[in-house]
Amino acid sequence: MWLAVLSTIADASLADADRFALQRMVRGDHAALGEVYDRHARLLYSLALRIVGRQPDAEDVLQEVFTQVWRQAARYDTARGTVAGWLVVLTRSRALDRLRRERGEATVDIDGPPVDVVDPGTSVDLQLVTAEQAARVRVALEALPDAQRVPLELGYYEGLSQSAIAARLGVPLGTIKTRMRQALLRLRDALAEPTP
Amino acid sequence: MTPPLDHDALREQVALYAIGALEAGERAVVASHVRGCAECAAELATLAPVSGAMAQIVTQHDPPAALRARVLSSIALSAPAPPRRLAGAWAPWLAAAAMLVLATGTAFYAAELRARILTLEGQLRVALDRVADGERRVAVALRNAADAEAPLAVLWAPDVRRIDLAGQPAASRASGRAFWSPTRGVVLTAANLPPLPAGRTYQLWFVTAQQTPVSIGLVKPDANGAVRRLVDTRGNFPEPAAVAVTIEPDGGVPAPTGDKYLVGLAH
Repeated sequence: MWLAVLSTIADASLADADRFALQRMVRGDHAALGEVYDRHARLLYSLALRIVGRQPDAEDVLQEVFTQVWRQAARYDTARGTVAGWLVVLTRSRALDRLRRERGEATVDIDGPPVDVVDPGTSVDLQLVTAEQAARVRVALEALPDAQRVPLELGYYEGLSQSAIAARLGVPLGTIKTRMRQALLRLRDALAEPTP
Repeated sequence: MTPPLDHDALREQVALYAIGALEAGERAVVASHVRGCAECAAELATLAPVSGAMAQIVTQHDPPAALRARVLSSIALSAPAPPRRLAGAWAPWLAAAAMLVLATGTAFYAAELRARILTLEGQLRVALDRVADGERRVAVALRNAADAEAPLAVLWAPDVRRIDLAGQPAASRASGRAFWSPTRGVVLTAANLPPLPAGRTYQLWFVTAQQTPVSIGLVKPDANGAVRRLVDTRGNFPEPAAVAVTIEPDGGVPAPTGDKYLVGLAH
């Protein structure tokens, strides 16, 4: 319990440090970007690698993300959430774009300027959790029946549309929707479980 | 065309919306619904950490060490963009146009400033001239006021003495008065003094008890033969036993030489 509280406090001060670093970036402070990189590159690189699958592609994704952060630091809205959350949204979005381009799908912003902070591809707020909560979610995900887990992973990590998932798994679209939703609600329950 | 979805059907989709798993059309419908539906917004809020957690639970790998330098060097030469960025290929042209407008505007502005400075300098000169003129007028007025005041000071002095002056045979119609204050000076008034011939002047004298005449100053009557003259006799002037006005050569003389025109005894 105390560990969770301390970890929450540490997350909060890191969030402040990130916001401050972003303000410094607006003033042209390159070292501030280095700080943010050092704090989050491992998480972002791991996510990018999970999605794109190849190391050089994951590196390209990270470079795109940090370039975008550098350019758009002034436009980041602190009210929308933590900088880390924004970085994760950007990383997932850029990585899925890359995957969709490889699949020959149109992406949201393939021929436009770099997407806005409010990324239409993942326009949903994303909220990072503590390491302890994440561990519970991982356990819960692995405990899901394949029929629920696989569609969810295809949607989240591969950016497949539900109809594409349905086609790939040979399952009716409505069933896919239901299973994905059930999987997500199960993970939410795992998050909400009291700390043992 | 699918029929409009009701709340329950939309609520079913919020979970998938939360992880960005809806297709564009569905996403827009759910997003619009969530904005106006407190219940679905609350549902979405509980799912935001699930989306975050799914990003966090992937197997962790350290990025290659060289990646940091690559990322930082890619931004090393670029300044962060300002909040409102000009997008796309037009940006350089717009920037160039903006510079041109700015340069032209600056040149016009400079010319306008120069013209305004010249105008202001002219106005400043006029104003300064007026101030200087005003100061001169004030000085003159003060002097005039002082001049007007000085005779009064003599007349109002507690120690003032009046000496009536009578016309002498050379000017039988003339008359005058001297007001003398040891502490203030002497005021001479006279009337009906004859016009002065060329090269001559009237001169005012104090005659002491020892019969010694002391020159007090030259006197110029106006066209009517009237005189109003203040002389500051404070200092080394003796007390007069008599006051006289004589006619003398221009510039005056140390001791009277000409006819007496006005004479009065101090009592």
